[in-house]
Amino acid sequence: MGRTLPSITQAFIQEEEAFSRFRRALRRGDQIALDDLFATARKHLSAAAYASHALPMETFLLSMLLEQHKEIMQLRQQVADLRGDRDA
Amino acid sequence: MPDHTGWLLDLFEDAQRGVDLWLIGDDGARLRLRQDFPLIFYAAGNTEALHQLGLWLRGQPEKPALARAVRRDLFRDQPLTLLAIEMQDPINQPRLFQRAAKRFPDLDFYDADINITLRHAARWGTFPLARCYVCADDDGNVQDMRVLDSPWDLDPLTPPLRVLSIMPDHDPSHTDPTALIATHDKREYRFSLQPERSLLINLRALLQRYDPDLLLTGSGDTWLLPLLLSLSKKHNLPLPLNREPDRGVLHKKEGSYFSYGQIIYRGQQILLYGRCHIDCRNAMMWQSYDLQGALESARITALPIQQAARVSPGTGISSMQITTALHNEILVPWKKQQVERPKTALDLIQYDQGGLVYQPITGLHFDVGMIDFISMYPSIMVHSNISPETPFPDRLGSSDHPPGLVPLTLKPLLEKRIALKQRALSLPSWDPRRAQDKARSAAHKWLLVTCFGYLGYKNARFGRIEAHEAVTTWGREALLRAKEAAEEMGFRVLHMYVDGLWVQKDGCRDPQHFQPLLEEVASRTSLPISLDGVYRWVAFLPSRVDDRLPVPNRYFGVFQDGSVKARGIDLRRRDSAPYVADVQREMLRCLALASSPDDLQQRVSQAIAILRQRLQDLRQGRVPLRELLVGKKLSKELSGYRVPSPGAKAALQLQAVGKSVRPGQRIKLVFIRGGDGVHAWDLPEPPSASALDVHYYQTLLLRAAANLLQPFGLDEDELLIWVRSDFGKQLELPLRVWSWRHAPDILPLDPALLGYPANA
Repeated sequence: MGRTLPSITQAFIQEEEAFSRFRRALRRGDQIALDDLFATARKHLSAAAYASHALPMETFLLSMLLEQHKEIMQLRQQVADLRGDRDA
Repeated sequence: MPDHTGWLLDLFEDAQRGVDLWLIGDDGARLRLRQDFPLIFYAAGNTEALHQLGLWLRGQPEKPALARAVRRDLFRDQPLTLLAIEMQDPINQPRLFQRAAKRFPDLDFYDADINITLRHAARWGTFPLARCYVCADDDGNVQDMRVLDSPWDLDPLTPPLRVLSIMPDHDPSHTDPTALIATHDKREYRFSLQPERSLLINLRALLQRYDPDLLLTGSGDTWLLPLLLSLSKKHNLPLPLNREPDRGVLHKKEGSYFSYGQIIYRGQQILLYGRCHIDCRNAMMWQSYDLQGALESARITALPIQQAARVSPGTGISSMQITTALHNEILVPWKKQQVERPKTALDLIQYDQGGLVYQPITGLHFDVGMIDFISMYPSIMVHSNISPETPFPDRLGSSDHPPGLVPLTLKPLLEKRIALKQRALSLPSWDPRRAQDKARSAAHKWLLVTCFGYLGYKNARFGRIEAHEAVTTWGREALLRAKEAAEEMGFRVLHMYVDGLWVQKDGCRDPQHFQPLLEEVASRTSLPISLDGVYRWVAFLPSRVDDRLPVPNRYFGVFQDGSVKARGIDLRRRDSAPYVADVQREMLRCLALASSPDDLQQRVSQAIAILRQRLQDLRQGRVPLRELLVGKKLSKELSGYRVPSPGAKAALQLQAVGKSVRPGQRIKLVFIRGGDGVHAWDLPEPPSASALDVHYYQTLLLRAAANLLQPFGLDEDELLIWVRSDFGKQLELPLRVWSWRHAPDILPLDPALLGYPANA
């Protein structure tokens, strides 16, 4: 269908492709980590669309940070739980 | 003066003057009446050009009456002064108008190309199958008429329609039929296609004796009626397909067009006078509409039955808008003049958006409530009064302005749909009205869905992109308000999709547990909302390409009453082979029997047993070829394929034997080994059963099964091992309830982790 603006998914794919040279030069292990980062950003595409930011990449970067922070908090909680178990 | 009460069956332009009406009388008589029906169309422009038009019109053979008129154009602030052109012979209007438009291209024309039934609907309140009281003189000239019911009645008195169905004994696109099977009132006749003369004579006798109101055919538009017409001509035996003996049938040409990102093919159409011809093969969306739906569309759109059964819902909704406009003396533009106003890039970024579509939390979830806004976009248009000519609302909820054209048109339709929905909840399952209501509801649904699209369509007569954007803006707002309400009340929001959300909360598993949430959302959005149902369990699937990615519209689940709902998996896809879809459906029904998470484990083993059994059927050749047919849609002209898809290869095979194929047509094929890899089903010789590509069908089936079983912790490779092994029953299943491989990092954070209570 004709679109005046690219959809958020199209914008995301464009941004991801813009880093293809960067990705290519990374080691295999780092490439996997980078792909994971982009995959986590995808989970918040709908929020990014709603935000309708003029520079969507900022929203994508923030989404990556968000997912990472969630993971840290969950791990922190698990560590606390494990410590609690040991102390108990 | 004789007067009649009955139902209006058909209405069209009289060959000389006014219109002809076909009435089904209460006494069973089929009456043909004639009514004077002057018709007016308008021209606007500069005074000099209008004067020239007037002079020119006076010299035309139609001799229209000319007058000055003042009317409202929705897209202009001031009323327009126009030249009104009145004709007593509607049948000649299209030709006069076309000549005028060609000669005076700079003038704007209004009310110029409107279906006669819509004009009649606006003037007299008629619609197909309306109950009418008609007062006519002895020659059948209507003196007065009154319509006794309304298209919005829930249970209208319906006429005893005489329906004659004529079907070929074989699908003509596949094999040449040898006979026609005609049925009416449970009586069946078989007419051999040879000899042709006796076929015509028998058919003519049947048409004359039974005199059907409705001719229901299989491939009547593309094959049957063209054949009968040419035979009738060849043998010089007139065939009374029409009730009007002096008229020929009306041909409409075939074509392909582009709509919502898809190529759609529509075959040629053949329309009759005084009798309705519906081709079940060609009527768009016939499967979901059926006859009840077609009649309901005709009643509410006021389009003739045979057209309502064929047109797209977009034409239906714009017809309703035209009738509303005519009725309210608002001009209907011939060509839309107004264009989109200039916008800044920032405006575009903010408003050029659709509905909110979330990525669900993939995996298996138990006790999930699904709530959705009832006809969200139409509701917003009606409640917030969104129409091209009204100021755009600054809030959800009632508007201070008088209702615009679009809300005026939609309001009764929306109310009828909601009334039918409410009734559906109270009717017992054996009530015959249930099936009927369902068919009518489906017709309403499509009209309501497209009315939103038409608001933004650049060629729609009453469209305006800003109104379209206002609807989605407030739709997003309503969905976010619903999300906020749910989260504040302690629900987890698993998924949101434009007008619905899936929510979950410990201890909420009965409809009444969700009632407070519904009330809260309704009060925050002032839009009608309902509980679609409570799922015993529902599984949201990740993308097929990358299993880290959730996708919005691939899920399946079981409601508390045991009914199953699935989207985006093989059994819903139109290009799945029936065999694959059936096995998937059977497996899903088996899983649906599980009432608790513990029980699921056993059901998964049973589902795998079904899969194994059906795979055996395939390998041992027990699956009929017909069930392995796959329908692939052609998306472009054959010459446009660089690498032909399976569908294109099959189409090329058909072309090689002289059968024509068009973009948008669905090509039926089976996958075979060797050669092209496919065999078109409509080729004269059937594929041999031994050539069948069993391995490929096995892959398709395993993929379909893996889609179902993946939320339970089994992927395609694991599944293959399970299916091959004979010890599957003893193995412990790796059931990982909603903690599928990537689930932990997809989980939204539990607010408790952040150190503040969930309800804060």
